[in-house]
Amino acid sequence: MIEITFEDVCAAYGERTIFSGLSKRIPGGRITAVTGENGSGKSTFLRLAGHLLRAHEGKVSVCVDGQELRQAELRSHLAMVTPELRFYSYLTARENMEFLLGLRGITLTDAMYQDGLRQVGLSEEKLEGKYAGAFSTGMRQRLKLAVLFLSGADIWLLDEPGANLDTAGKTMVLQAARKAADAGKLVLLATNDSGEEAAADDTICL
Amino acid sequence: MIPSAFEGARIILRKELRISFRQQAGWCAMLMFALTTLACVSLSLTGGVLEPKLQAALLWVILFFASMAGADRGFADEDMAGTLPALRLYGASQGVLWGKTAYTFFLLLALALFTVPLYLIFLDVIVVNAVWLWGTVVAGLAGLAIAGTLLGALATGASVRGGLFTVLMLPVILPVFLPAIALTGAAFGGEEASASYLLGIVLYDLVLGVAASLLFDYLWYED
Repeated sequence: MIEITFEDVCAAYGERTIFSGLSKRIPGGRITAVTGENGSGKSTFLRLAGHLLRAHEGKVSVCVDGQELRQAELRSHLAMVTPELRFYSYLTARENMEFLLGLRGITLTDAMYQDGLRQVGLSEEKLEGKYAGAFSTGMRQRLKLAVLFLSGADIWLLDEPGANLDTAGKTMVLQAARKAADAGKLVLLATNDSGEEAAADDTICL
Repeated sequence: MIPSAFEGARIILRKELRISFRQQAGWCAMLMFALTTLACVSLSLTGGVLEPKLQAALLWVILFFASMAGADRGFADEDMAGTLPALRLYGASQGVLWGKTAYTFFLLLALALFTVPLYLIFLDVIVVNAVWLWGTVVAGLAGLAIAGTLLGALATGASVRGGLFTVLMLPVILPVFLPAIALTGAAFGGEEASASYLLGIVLYDLVLGVAASLLFDYLWYED
């Protein structure tokens, strides 16, 4: 059972406090939405949850079956889709996927590659021979999701996952998030989208 | 499953080589700097003869400043391209450190293979011991690669990155430079230098490597 716990957490950038005194428990097997106005700290919350940012005060712990995870071991359970995540412009889609998944010890086979693209609605023919620098924002978003789906991660941190996607793409994301939560994964979703918020089991409002 | 540090390093190195051969900008900056410096020095010294120790010192000055154009690019380029968050998320620290170091060493070695022969030709330097020369160059550049990768990671994100990197590099790399200059001077027919200088450089490189390995986790992880 995966669980992320915030204990009296304060997040600040320089002299600007984003939020303080935040205590929350986020369990696995559920979709938890993080909502709030622009600048309320939704993305910061996600980064704190993944230990990608250090809390100004308080503690964020990530536990699997009661055992706290840190550093490389935590990262191996983690995958994220966020606007800040970028692919290498001079690598193709397949090369980017092979690289990122390879760092997780996953060998990308032809079947996995094709399945990953199919899940996110990308065409292998359209991607053939093209560097990621030439992709549209929608294609890049779908590629991020493909890497997430193939990574086998237990913790999904999704920051506006439906951004730059059409209606079919947004539906695909929510269906995949539901399937992941039903399989016991912890899905944390930062969003301003009412559809994404409605699909969540729990909501944290910042 | 976390791959071994060796496997992680291999994957990082392969990615770096792939991108650098396609992009080529990093190569051009370093090699043009070296070529420009060599041309200036050669033209200034036309007909002049330098003693071996000065020839050695000048060679290492050129190698140092040419390598500054490339040694810190490992993390700076990722930061500018916005790919550092993805690398932090998916890459384990030791694989990233050693993959980047291996790439930087490869880059510096290519720089030396280009620069050193041209230096010998332009300045009409006589090499009495080629094994001594290249052994010193390889050991010295290994130290530059390790220090450059660690300090490049440290300086990434700083508003005065370029200046900070060079300022941090000099004191760290001085224990490599001074014996390297003495050994290279000996290779050019100057005053004899003890083999223990080369052993000293290799040992210092090992110490740098261990220190980099221990420190890098603190740079890479927030927890």
